[in-house]
Order: sequence, then structure tokens, then C-alpha cells
Amino acid sequence: MRPDLASLVAGFCILALGVVLLLDAGGTIDLRFGGFAPLACAAIGATLGAVGMTRPR
Amino acid sequence: MNETPTRQLPPEPAQPKRLYRARSDRVIGGVCAGLGRYFDVDPIIFRIGAVVLTFIGGAGLLAYLAALLLIPSEEDAGVATGETPAGRNRWLVVLGVIVLLCVAWPFLVGGGLLVAGLLVPVAILVAAGVLVWWFVSGEGPAGDAGDVAKRAILGIGVLLVCGLISIGGAWAAAAGGETIVAVAVIVAAVVILAGAFLRPVRWLVLPALVLALSAGTVQAAGIDLEGGVGERDYRPASAADLQDRYELGIGQLVIDLRRTDLPPGDVPLDVHVGVGDVRVVVPDDVCVATDAHVRVGELRTFERSNDGVDVDLEDRPDAPADVTRLLVKANLGVGSLRIGHSAADLNLDHGNFDFGPPVPDELGRNTACAS
Repeated sequence: MRPDLASLVAGFCILALGVVLLLDAGGTIDLRFGGFAPLACAAIGATLGAVGMTRPR
Repeated sequence: MNETPTRQLPPEPAQPKRLYRARSDRVIGGVCAGLGRYFDVDPIIFRIGAVVLTFIGGAGLLAYLAALLLIPSEEDAGVATGETPAGRNRWLVVLGVIVLLCVAWPFLVGGGLLVAGLLVPVAILVAAGVLVWWFVSGEGPAGDAGDVAKRAILGIGVLLVCGLISIGGAWAAAAGGETIVAVAVIVAAVVILAGAFLRPVRWLVLPALVLALSAGTVQAAGIDLEGGVGERDYRPASAADLQDRYELGIGQLVIDLRRTDLPPGDVPLDVHVGVGDVRVVVPDDVCVATDAHVRVGELRTFERSNDGVDVDLEDRPDAPADVTRLLVKANLGVGSLRIGHSAADLNLDHGNFDFGPPVPDELGRNTACAS
């Protein structure tokens, strides 16, 4: 069975966001808008793109 | 040679040209493509017109929604052509006419701007509902008007749920639960990844993304509800009355040191505010050194100012030995910090902190420092 590409991409994007949030909560990094905004935009864009490309027509 | 006489058949009566939402070449609901086909014009012209009208008062959006409800799609053409408009969702036709009248009303009557002010947000909400449901389920705005309306309602429901998740995530992150929210986001991501190989759980993508973005925004803004919510007005009598740290979650904080007996030398002042405005008022004979940071907002100290996103302001002037040097260390999430000698814009005696637009030279000059 082939994995669902949209779920894979979205899962990895959300996982990346979660790890960044966890690192900031633990004080390992200092999350600022300059770093978070591009990451959030990339996650949203990749998720929308993956869902759009794999949508059954 | 016999020639069979041919009989001219009477021409069939021309079928009336009908307007349908196009099935192919559609971007959203096929309205512009259908109009282009009907008038034999490139549909891009209608698309540009709709976008332009959307930005000019929102009429394009309202008209598009009305057309989405009124014009049948090509999928239903077989059914629609055999029926009169009266037999096909009559109530929706009436609804569409009402929407069209509402679109025209503000432009015909000056007082109708109030109607436009109410309708445009509703139209945006309906459009957002359709788009959200399209994203979540993959069902675009096809089918008859009832289907479109049903999907819009479902989409608005998803939006409401996401709004609640967003508020909850933001509040939890601001109240000290950043770790819990981060772990919840990671767990959701693992479930989505596992579902990719077993059984896809795409419905979980949007809530997880909303939770991560709301918590991330709060963490990036450095918003911390520790310190409470409200207005705080501190007027210490002496340096001994100064707190080690002034904290406020959301609100307005005023530290008035004009009647404070401050000793010569360095006096630290540590300020942390999540969301709000901070005003520090100092006597004329006090030198102020500032090390301030605001994630989103404005910093103003005497003649210096800086605003925007991730803003720093560092000013460390020296002071003569017999002069008090106030070492202000401030950290704000979203808001503004002003440090100066004057409090002309603050009605402190009545507890009314008016943080209006800055007046030129209102903060005075940092003249007590060594030149």
C-alpha cells in the first residue's frame, strides 16, 4: 500500500513546528517572528500544495 | 433518370441560449467560465472584474455568491433544462434575487452603506466556509445551490472549531503550558504520519496546524500572562520600594518615579509585559540607560525611537558619579514602551492612562547623563 503523500508532507511539517515549539518552551532556542514566520508559511504552503496535488479529481 | 423530390424540412426552432456554471475551466464555482462561454468572451475578463469589484466595496464577492446560488451547473443541465425555474429550488431563486437586491442597494441609496457593512462580512464568512470545506473534504462548490449552501455551513462549522482550538492553544501557551501544547502538536503529527501508512486522517491536519500556529505566534510574541491582566500604576517613594521585577500579562503599566527618592549611582528597573503599553516617567535629574526589546510594537526613549517586528533599543550613556542612572531592562511581547520626563499625556491622578499618539518632545531629553 502506497503511503498517503498529503498526510506524509503535512505530518512532517506539523512535526517540525511541534519540535520548534518544544525547543522554545525548553529554552533551547529563542523563537522570534523573524524565524517563525517563514517556517509557518513554508509549513502552510507545503501542506496546501501536497493536499491539492493528491486530491482525487 | 428519376429524381426524388426532396422536401425541405422546416428548421427546428432555435433553442434559447442558457447560462450554466461551467464544469471545465472552472477556478472556483465555474461562474466566470460560464459567463465567458455564454457571451463568447475570454472568462479572464469576468475574473478580473470580480476581483476588482471584491476589493471595491465587496460587491464582486456578493455577486459571485449570488451567481453561485442562481446559475445551475452543467452537471445538472439535463435536469435543469427540462424544468422551469419555478420548479427548481424556487426558494433559492428568491434568495438569490434578494442577495442581488442587497448588492445593488448600497450603490443606489447612500444610507445603504450600513447594509453593505453587514453583508460583506457575511459574504466573506460564507466564501471562507466554502473554501475551508473544499480544503478539508475535497468537495468544491459544485452541484446545486443547496449543496453549496450545505458545504458553506459545514465549512463555517469547521472554522468555528478551528477558532476555538486557536484561542485555547494561544491561551495555554501564554499561561505557561507551552510544553503541553508542543507535545500535543507532536502527538498529532505522529498520528497523521502513522495514518499515512495505515489509514489517512487528513481531518486532523487542519486542527493540528491551527494549534501549532496559534501557540507559535504566542511564543514568538513572547506573550506571558504571568503578572495578571489590567492597569497597574506604581509610584514608589524610595529606591527601597522599587520591585525587583515589574510584571504584567496584558494591560497598561505606569511606573512614575518623579517623586521617588533615588540614590546616586546605578538603579536597576526590570520590566516584563506580555501585551500592552508601558510608561516609565523619571525626574529631570535622572539619567536613563535602556536595554529594551519588543517582539511587535514600538520603543521610545526621549529622542530615540524604534518600531516594527523584533525591535531592540539599546542606549547606555554614562552618568556623573553624583547622578542617578536608571538601568531599564524591558522585555515586551506586543505593545509599546515609552520612557521620558513628562507625563502630559497621562491623566495619572484619575487613573486614566491615555496612551494616545506621541506628542513631539513630550518625553523630554536625557540631559542628566554625561555628554
